[in-house]
Amino acid sequence: MSTTTLRPSQPVRSGAAGAARSSRRKAGAWHRLIQPLLVAALCAVVVGIPLWLALITSAKSQGEANLPDLSMPTQWHLLDNYQRAFSEGEVWRGLFGSLLVMVPSVVGVILFGSLAAWILARRSGRLAAVLYAAAISGLILPPAVVTIVLLLRQLGLASTPVGMIFIYMGMYMSIVIFFITGFVRTIPIELEEAARIDGARPVRIFFTIILPLLRPVIATATILVCLYIWNDVFYAFFVLGGGSTTTLQLNLFQIASSNLYQNNWNLIFAYVVISSLPLLVVFIFAQRKIISGITGGAVK
Amino acid sequence: MGTQRMIRAAAITAAGALLLAGCSAANPDASKGGSSAVTWNEPTASLKGVTLTYWTATQTAKMADQVITAFEKQTGATINTVVIPDVYETNAPTKIASGSKPDLATWQPTASMLALLQPKTGLQNLNTAPWLKTLSPGVQQLGKVDGSTYAAFVNVPSVIGMFYNKDVFAKAGITQTPTNFDKLVTDAQTIKAAGTAPFYGAVGDRWPTQWWPQVLLAEKAKAGLWDAVNTNKDAFTGPDIQAAIVEYKSLVDAGLFNPDNLTSTYNESGPALLNGEAAMVLQISGFTSLLQSSADTKTINAKIGWFPISKDGNLGTIVPGGDSALVAPKTGNAKREAAARQFLRFWMETDYKSYVESSKQVSIEPTVPSPTDVPQVALDASKALDTAVGSMQQLAVVNPDFYVFLADMVQGTKTPEDVGKLTQAQFEQLAKALGVKGF
Amino acid sequence: MAHPIVDAERQLQRRDARMSERRQASSHPARFLLPAFAVLGVFFFLPTVFNFIYAFTDWSAFKSDINFVGFENFASLLGDGSLFTALRVTLIYAALVGIMQNVFGLGLALLFERDTRVNRFARVIFFIPVLMSALAVGYIFQALLKPAGAVNEILALVSGQNVHIAWLGDTTWTLVVVAFVNSWKWMGLAMIIFLAGLKTIPEDVLEAARMDGASAWKTFLRVKFPLLAPAITFNFATALLGSLNGFDTVQATTAGGPAQTTEVLNIYIFQIFGYGLYAQATTMSLVLFFLVLVLAFPVVGYLRKRENVL
Repeated sequence: MSTTTLRPSQPVRSGAAGAARSSRRKAGAWHRLIQPLLVAALCAVVVGIPLWLALITSAKSQGEANLPDLSMPTQWHLLDNYQRAFSEGEVWRGLFGSLLVMVPSVVGVILFGSLAAWILARRSGRLAAVLYAAAISGLILPPAVVTIVLLLRQLGLASTPVGMIFIYMGMYMSIVIFFITGFVRTIPIELEEAARIDGARPVRIFFTIILPLLRPVIATATILVCLYIWNDVFYAFFVLGGGSTTTLQLNLFQIASSNLYQNNWNLIFAYVVISSLPLLVVFIFAQRKIISGITGGAVK
Repeated sequence: MGTQRMIRAAAITAAGALLLAGCSAANPDASKGGSSAVTWNEPTASLKGVTLTYWTATQTAKMADQVITAFEKQTGATINTVVIPDVYETNAPTKIASGSKPDLATWQPTASMLALLQPKTGLQNLNTAPWLKTLSPGVQQLGKVDGSTYAAFVNVPSVIGMFYNKDVFAKAGITQTPTNFDKLVTDAQTIKAAGTAPFYGAVGDRWPTQWWPQVLLAEKAKAGLWDAVNTNKDAFTGPDIQAAIVEYKSLVDAGLFNPDNLTSTYNESGPALLNGEAAMVLQISGFTSLLQSSADTKTINAKIGWFPISKDGNLGTIVPGGDSALVAPKTGNAKREAAARQFLRFWMETDYKSYVESSKQVSIEPTVPSPTDVPQVALDASKALDTAVGSMQQLAVVNPDFYVFLADMVQGTKTPEDVGKLTQAQFEQLAKALGVKGF
Repeated sequence: MAHPIVDAERQLQRRDARMSERRQASSHPARFLLPAFAVLGVFFFLPTVFNFIYAFTDWSAFKSDINFVGFENFASLLGDGSLFTALRVTLIYAALVGIMQNVFGLGLALLFERDTRVNRFARVIFFIPVLMSALAVGYIFQALLKPAGAVNEILALVSGQNVHIAWLGDTTWTLVVVAFVNSWKWMGLAMIIFLAGLKTIPEDVLEAARMDGASAWKTFLRVKFPLLAPAITFNFATALLGSLNGFDTVQATTAGGPAQTTEVLNIYIFQIFGYGLYAQATTMSLVLFFLVLVLAFPVVGYLRKRENVL
């Protein structure tokens, strides 16, 4: 397939190099044309179509949306559907509730978790190993819904955001400790030693030296925990359901089961779009940081 | 080392304390105080500052709206409606187990379903309710557990019957509604030959399947079938119930249901019947509301008729539904409990006429006439109450998921014998948990 | 007579160990563990322990008192066939998700490996499902997979025939469909992890392979795949654990149907709870716990060993 003529001064290359050259040329066509087309097609079909369905159905009237398909709406009801979602679905309350339970949980679990992870990573000995195993056992142990809520009731925290925050912290502490412990071990102990010799107390060492160095893995852990908490419905339903606090996803759940005789897909999908938007917007703006955070922190 | 020992000690003590506390508090239904004297406030007495929580299912989400608005206006109380997502009968008891208790809730008023709420200690006793005597005699007998009334009926309980499309019947040349099940099957064959699906199955939602064996057992139920099952003298694996299951299966196998039976849903059955896609739908009388959501009373009266059906005749089978009654749990807060009772009084005494008219329901109080635009099918169904017999829901001591296994059978993954065995196993498990003698 | 030099060395080692322990205790105080363990202890371990205790009682919605009944719940659970069905469904589901999620994730990572504009855009696009809630994904696919829904529409367009497959109504294959839906949601995350893993492969190893004239496939098989072992461990472990404890996606798509053929253990537990049989439900969650234990450790252990060998 090679069209260049062999220059007399150059020795005849072996078959392998020739094959490499021709495969490079094939690779050129692949990289320039076929691969991008394939990628675009994949994106459009695999992810595009489901998202398109959600978007387009959220703009239809109830009757039209009853059988959701990919066609464009005959009449655009975008504004009314979203308005209805905002009022009937109490979007602002849900947004507030989601943030209210997520932010303190994430801050708390990262702070406590990294503190504990630091100790567990640096201390040696049987006890430390046992404690570490206990700390990450939450990765495997399924949380027990009903008894958790019973406990909250005992503590007087049933149906409260504070109770929900503590439960989320309990649930995700293990994953934070798991990630961070591994990462701490890559921080040279000499840095700590140096600070200690200078007279710094452990608290100071942790906050001024360790925490900044933990940034990549903290980013990963934060993103993952945020993801899990923001999208949780199961536990939120048991802990907060029926109380005065509600989350965006809980509202979606209510909306999707609320209509009597016809699935109001248009409203459901309007809410799907609304409930997915916050994370999506944050992601679009911070995607480079987020992806590099995950890639930096996870594969250690 | 010292800190670690301290940690361990603290953990153990904390665990021990909570363990002791938790074991006894595990079941929130154990009300410590004795029942306060049951007083009945005036229905419109002021309740300023009182907030009540009202749980209801998605199917009954808007049922009480009119009453709530009127009550709030006239008493100054606030009622917080919480719609518990499907399946209500699964999610609500779970929430109660984890400690939340509403002040009012819609609940299926059968002994088996009320058992989940431990009526004797968990629900307010409504024996002295002032409006009880104004209800029709048939309804007064219902909603009881061991002789005491725990459920306040607000709507007429359902009767299982056959809704049919009059035009399709006429087209197939059927002039008389069938007078027993065999004649029904013959009519079904005729309709099939005339080109329409005889029955609409809605197996996709699973629960509509259970009406078929139940209507086939109506006469046996009258003769005491469920008493025998309740005392372990008969079972779901016994000859009577098995025969009913097998007969239902034979209808499915004979192709007498709509072609998309396996995935069709309850919501689709209403429009299907109105359009004449199918000739008949076997359903509880709540089906009328489904019809009303897509057609007006005039159309329904013109197109749809109703007749009860059973193995040997036209015996109706009563299924009090989740939309038939409310319960008032004991929350321990005397003020809210009294307010809940007041709400029920308001509904059934002060507001009943307005309620019945705005919701187009059949009245269960003989002194309050049913609105004129209630579809005829609903009126027919309520008339059948007087002679009807109780269903499994009504008469069995616990409620196994009969419909789940029946739906599996129709899907082809279980045999009739499997259905009997599995339902019986679940029945025994539940009866044992309830402490029924003989299990 | 002991060699005095060896003795002294050993003594020195012991003294060093004691001193370093003491140093550790002061530079890394145990009390820093308190907040995390307090939260873990009270809000996670305690309820879990309670859950297991209740498995040995007759706790139910029907009685207000609770009595110990020993192993009765386990005995009746073993006699009941539905436990095994739910177990089987959960295991198949977990295996399917583990395989699908990682095969798709790996495929996507390989496809989007080069840092071109198109690839970077595609990586963002495929991460979007990860951000959505399982509920949202479930509802979208419910709508897509209806007999008269979009997927069948497209198939009909492409094949020219009437396509009326009940994707979520088949008692044999719906489990595969649901596993696919779950993988669809999470494959973006697996892809990112694999991308990270691919980036850690040293450039000179790849260059050497190129020089040897290795084809893309050979390069992958001999070079990339083995060096991706840590990423594979992480992805497979998370997929496995996530799906064994799975609930949200399945519940939102099929709620365990049709005919309980997608009823994973957590859905079954949820239902049993709904009957009011609380002790039986906690018994089952104990079974689930042991299932995860028995499966997760060997699998992760094997994968970890692979990492070290390679």
